[in-house]
Amino acid sequence: MNIIVCMKQVIDLEQIRIKPKTREPVIEGLPFLFGDFEKCALEEAVRIKEKHGGKVTALAVGSPKLRDTIKEALAIGADEAIILIEPIFQDSDAMGSARVIAKAIEKVGEYDLILLGDSSADEYSGEIPPRIAELLDLPQVGFVREIEVMTDNDQMTDTKKVRVVRDMEDALEVVEMALPAVVGVTSELNTPRLAPLSAILKASRKPLNEWGPDDIGATADELGPKALVVEVLSNLAPIQDRKGINYQDVEEGVAEVVKALQQEGVLTQ
Amino acid sequence: MNIEAKLGLDVFKVDTEPHIVIKHEICQAKCQIRYCLNICPAELYTLDKQDEVQVNYEGCLECGACLMACEHEALTWQYPRAGYGVQYRFG
Amino acid sequence: MEKVEFVVVGAGLSGLATAMVLAEAGAEVLVVERGDYPGSKNVTGGRLYLGPIRSYLPDLWKDAPLERRVVKERLTMMAPESSITVELSSDRFRRPPYPSYTLLYAVFNRWFADQASERGALVIPGYKVDDLVVKDGRVVGIISSGDEIHANAVVAADGAHSFMAEKAGLRKPHAAKNFAVAIKEVIEFTPQVIEDRFALEDGEGTAQLFFGSLTKGIHGGGFLYTNLESLSLGLVLAIQDLMGKSGLEQNQGPPPVSPHDLFEAFKERSEIRPLIADGHTVEYSAHIIPKGGFRAISRLVTDGMLVVGDAAGFTLNMGVTVRGMDFALASGVLAARALLHAREQADFSSATLSYYKTLLKESFVWQDLKTFQYMPDFMANPRLYERYPSMACDLLEQMLWIGEQPKVKLSATILRTIRQNLLRVDVLRDLIRMRKI
Repeated sequence: MNIIVCMKQVIDLEQIRIKPKTREPVIEGLPFLFGDFEKCALEEAVRIKEKHGGKVTALAVGSPKLRDTIKEALAIGADEAIILIEPIFQDSDAMGSARVIAKAIEKVGEYDLILLGDSSADEYSGEIPPRIAELLDLPQVGFVREIEVMTDNDQMTDTKKVRVVRDMEDALEVVEMALPAVVGVTSELNTPRLAPLSAILKASRKPLNEWGPDDIGATADELGPKALVVEVLSNLAPIQDRKGINYQDVEEGVAEVVKALQQEGVLTQ
Repeated sequence: MNIEAKLGLDVFKVDTEPHIVIKHEICQAKCQIRYCLNICPAELYTLDKQDEVQVNYEGCLECGACLMACEHEALTWQYPRAGYGVQYRFG
Repeated sequence: MEKVEFVVVGAGLSGLATAMVLAEAGAEVLVVERGDYPGSKNVTGGRLYLGPIRSYLPDLWKDAPLERRVVKERLTMMAPESSITVELSSDRFRRPPYPSYTLLYAVFNRWFADQASERGALVIPGYKVDDLVVKDGRVVGIISSGDEIHANAVVAADGAHSFMAEKAGLRKPHAAKNFAVAIKEVIEFTPQVIEDRFALEDGEGTAQLFFGSLTKGIHGGGFLYTNLESLSLGLVLAIQDLMGKSGLEQNQGPPPVSPHDLFEAFKERSEIRPLIADGHTVEYSAHIIPKGGFRAISRLVTDGMLVVGDAAGFTLNMGVTVRGMDFALASGVLAARALLHAREQADFSSATLSYYKTLLKESFVWQDLKTFQYMPDFMANPRLYERYPSMACDLLEQMLWIGEQPKVKLSATILRTIRQNLLRVDVLRDLIRMRKI
């Protein structure tokens, strides 16, 4: 079973602060890490490999900081890592990123399963899994919280299958699908292991595969600013209007809060 | 600006395991002055109704002044586990 | 089990400097940092003296994310309701090479770590070193979450508490008298507001230190540094004094007070209030600082291990200047040179590694610390923080105050001040003590 895990490094969301006057988020220079969904996808891939054999390839598009971030993927058990860090890749929207990922997957070639986080922790648009499935003409499911590789009766044939459980919030849906396929996972899937320091050290000594546009056969028209289909108009924190009432006595305070809420029109008489 | 508001500005990744543990048996028996109540820049040490010192390790700035000031060695104080505790943006 | 040539515990200034020099010489060096990123657990008051250290890491500083070059030095002596500020503004400070810069540690250190990585050091944040591996009395590695990494030598660059030096038996724990606690707020403004309020030109900065009644008799003081878009405002307070025990006379100090209350009172002073008005506080931090000086330096070398920076106690508070980062960086570089010397001989015993001490003794680190070894005693004198500043402020106030009453002769005012405040045995003792610094 050969698995490609697509991983996105995201800025540590807890580090983002909002400029009080302009409401702009301050994100320059913030540290990167992998989101929980990505970590779960990788963990699952490594567990499947440990049980059924095969190879796990971690694939990531992002800033040069990936050279450090990706070590975690190698330390946790990816056999190989491919990173695409040229500036042109980073100026993409979801469409452009999906195109880069799909082309990189095609170049990797041999794969049975493509695992990735259902959405990224930063933008949370959830577009990548269906887009790459479409580009690669593969079946795709999302919101997956359980994956079972089916080994019964298909061992004799070439057809490999997985049975996955989708989280539909108020229901669980069980889907069987033939491989190769794209599976978007949620953080209910598993509890990712922590990489020991020695594994990070070992991973640091492994050479990284850095692919540029030529490696994946992408032209300038397909990438970066020229290929944008989504335009970001504004990225500001919502206006917050906090009001407070200080009180000593609870009953008095409650009465004052009720009165204030009535005045604001939140409560009616 | 009160201390809670100031601590609210910092990034804390809170561990479920406390990195500061008070050995109450020593603290109660030996310490009269309880420097920790005053020395902590984050004012995390308080006295509860039983006159026992309690610490809210979650807002710890990791200076360790309390460790230095605890004359009776009634504190087990270590740095939080990796990935936890205060993460300064400016420093 | 994995092995590397060298492990550095802590990605602060000293540890990264060690790693940078080792990596540049082709050695394999692993820097283990417990914070999420290098700098995330570091705090500085806010300035780095580049003068002493430029030659230690040349070609590095051009693109460094330093904040403002300091062109004005201010020293403010505070009485309860008055103060005297001395300002030195010098064109010498305005000419390159600039002697010192303000900086924000977490910002600077991320960049500094990148420089070390580019030179080949493996800087790994997010891992905490829990213990040392010691075999037959030799430090041979580290343990992180039960995972052992072995090395020819380990560098303890783990900051003022240095649990590593403690574990190696190089220092004792719990020495309150040798430490101060520093607290700081970073307060955000636009660059324009800062330049207007401090009368600075583009890229220029001010460093201001405060001593006197702001610390209520506690050995310590305040600091204010201008960054590009923020001010770093803080207090440094001797821990022993906060415990009501003056370093000079046992149990003669003030009663315990809270650092945060002192800080808030400091912010409310008329000297500070207008400087920080309308700013947004964006961070509150605290850290301890070694203050024992030369005589409190830990043992620096054992078999397989060296101690650098704050971990070794390399800081010097002279009241008018506060240094630590330049010592940290220089000691880090010297430790690396000693390790490379040991590497040539493939011998990492205490005897060979003691070359570190030889190098230190030839450097400004050791020499400055030694020259000013009596400074900590001198600075621990509570009269420096109460009586003398008040006396000076009162005298000047009397000379400058024009009220309803006719004024007495200046000589009478001065003589009265001297009679009331200076003709005393303790003052004589302080003068004698002053000869030593």
